[in-house]
Amino acid sequence: MKKYVKKPSMHETQRYVCGGLRGRPGRKYGVIYQSVLLENLQYAANLAMGFFSYFVFIYIFIRLWNYMYQAPRELIAGYAKEQMIWYVMMTEMIWFGSDSGALTRQVITDIRGGNIAYMMNKPYHYTLYILAKYTGEWSIRLPMYALLATVIGTCMVGGIPGFRVMLLPVMTLCVVLGITINAVFKICISLFSFRIEDATPFLWLYDKLILVVGTVFPIEIFPEELQVLFKLTPIYTVCYGPAKLVVDFSAGKCIEILSAQILYLAAGCGLMFWIYGKGVRKLYVNGG
Amino acid sequence: MHAIEVENLSKTFQVRIKEKGMRGSIGALLHPQIRQIKAVDQVSFAVEEGEMLAFIGPNGAGKSTTIKMLTGILCPDGGSVRVRGLDPVKRRKQLAYQIGTVFGQKEQLWTHLTPYDNFRFFGAIYDIPDRETEERIGELAERFALEAFINTPVRNLSLGQRIRCEIVASLIHKPGVLFLDEPTIGLDPVVKENIRGLIRQMNREYHTTILLTSHDVGDIEKLCRRIIIMNAGQIVLDDSMEHLKQYYLSGERREQERNGEIQVHGSHARLHRHEDAESVDSSSMSLEDIIMEIYRAEGRTEVI
Repeated sequence: MKKYVKKPSMHETQRYVCGGLRGRPGRKYGVIYQSVLLENLQYAANLAMGFFSYFVFIYIFIRLWNYMYQAPRELIAGYAKEQMIWYVMMTEMIWFGSDSGALTRQVITDIRGGNIAYMMNKPYHYTLYILAKYTGEWSIRLPMYALLATVIGTCMVGGIPGFRVMLLPVMTLCVVLGITINAVFKICISLFSFRIEDATPFLWLYDKLILVVGTVFPIEIFPEELQVLFKLTPIYTVCYGPAKLVVDFSAGKCIEILSAQILYLAAGCGLMFWIYGKGVRKLYVNGG
Repeated sequence: MHAIEVENLSKTFQVRIKEKGMRGSIGALLHPQIRQIKAVDQVSFAVEEGEMLAFIGPNGAGKSTTIKMLTGILCPDGGSVRVRGLDPVKRRKQLAYQIGTVFGQKEQLWTHLTPYDNFRFFGAIYDIPDRETEERIGELAERFALEAFINTPVRNLSLGQRIRCEIVASLIHKPGVLFLDEPTIGLDPVVKENIRGLIRQMNREYHTTILLTSHDVGDIEKLCRRIIIMNAGQIVLDDSMEHLKQYYLSGERREQERNGEIQVHGSHARLHRHEDAESVDSSSMSLEDIIMEIYRAEGRTEVI
């Protein structure tokens, strides 16, 4: 039996390839992001098709909440009418703006079809590749929906009560973190396809839970016992948190939501790498 | 130093089996039955640096599973693999910098981008500085005659142009070992010949070790000096193309011995695991016939 004599060091291997260690960490994911951005820019006009659905959805909710709020200064679950409508507009903006084929189909399709095998032997981490692709997709969609939401909201509801432009960066950060957490958890669910035949039903359930609980209605609408439960789920950090900060900002709430988001992101990424690592070792790909 | 070293490599797949009909489906739920399939069974071989090796076999022979273990995609159940001195499972990411892959039936290029943007993309993926990537693109574009369509989106290219771009994309990072899995599938004879010429040139100029899988005998005959034939998870022949052709095509008779090993007179060929004695008159046989005969000798009658 032949014995392997000398194990080349990381440095030696890299030096062979292109003369030295030159890669900046994250550069390759930046390039993946850019490539998707380039690709999606060609289809920016197609995104406008989704605007109609968004408008119909928001129009229905404006009518609904106008009917529900009988007195002008009435509060429901602590929200004034304008806050409630803006809350739905923000969560729907995140929902429509971050909808992506890379997350809803690609991971499951890659695993079931065996395509993942051909991506694994590239020098990037598959899950980060998907995240970079996804970010490239929502980077175009979300600003377009944000613009649409601002126009519809300003025209049909008026400004957001107590909104301060100087808080926009922290709100944006919160939205971006929320979208990324959602992506990480969806990738985790999709990675179950390594074990089970098809993870699509679980992804569907997760989507609907986020839609009904955090998106259409704020958590405060639900009974207190459920609120405690919801605050322990990703729902709190994905849709509710960012939208809450936009319609009812407070420094305490901001710190609470951002802390929860960082914790969820760290835990979600850990879980994602762990499931992927386990799944890859069990990968079953046959056929040429 | 060997570019590839494989010792007693094995891989077994577990396949669920189910009786037919509803009863079978319910039965499979309650008492799942699993069959073990030995896809690769104690395979050993080595490939020299700069060698061009044909790795062939009928469908289901285990060659793709072997290649996937060599590239770190699948974990072996037993044995050891070293590709350029690296264990593909433990150091998959590092190995990715050392190898290139072209799968004729799988696109690695982004179809909405131009070949140039794709090459820049792969350059960044492999941590190559922009200036070096530019130089490499220029060099390969000239070698592979891509200038006419390097700025056309990949989705608008012909299959032959796309395959050329696929090969270039896999060469951007100067891999030491290139795995080509049916690179000429679906191409017309002229384009096939063109691609073969480019592969030969690449091997000669860059001293790239090439492991070629193909069902096209022309690819094997015109490109490789050595051939490994796999069947039923095992290597049934490992010989130089010269000997294989010489001793079969010159009308020599192949002799099978009951002791489990066949000797092809005067050659280094090793044919393993034959049980039945028979004689095959191989005069006036084409290489394709010879390969089919070897497949059949291992009990495989349906060769696709």
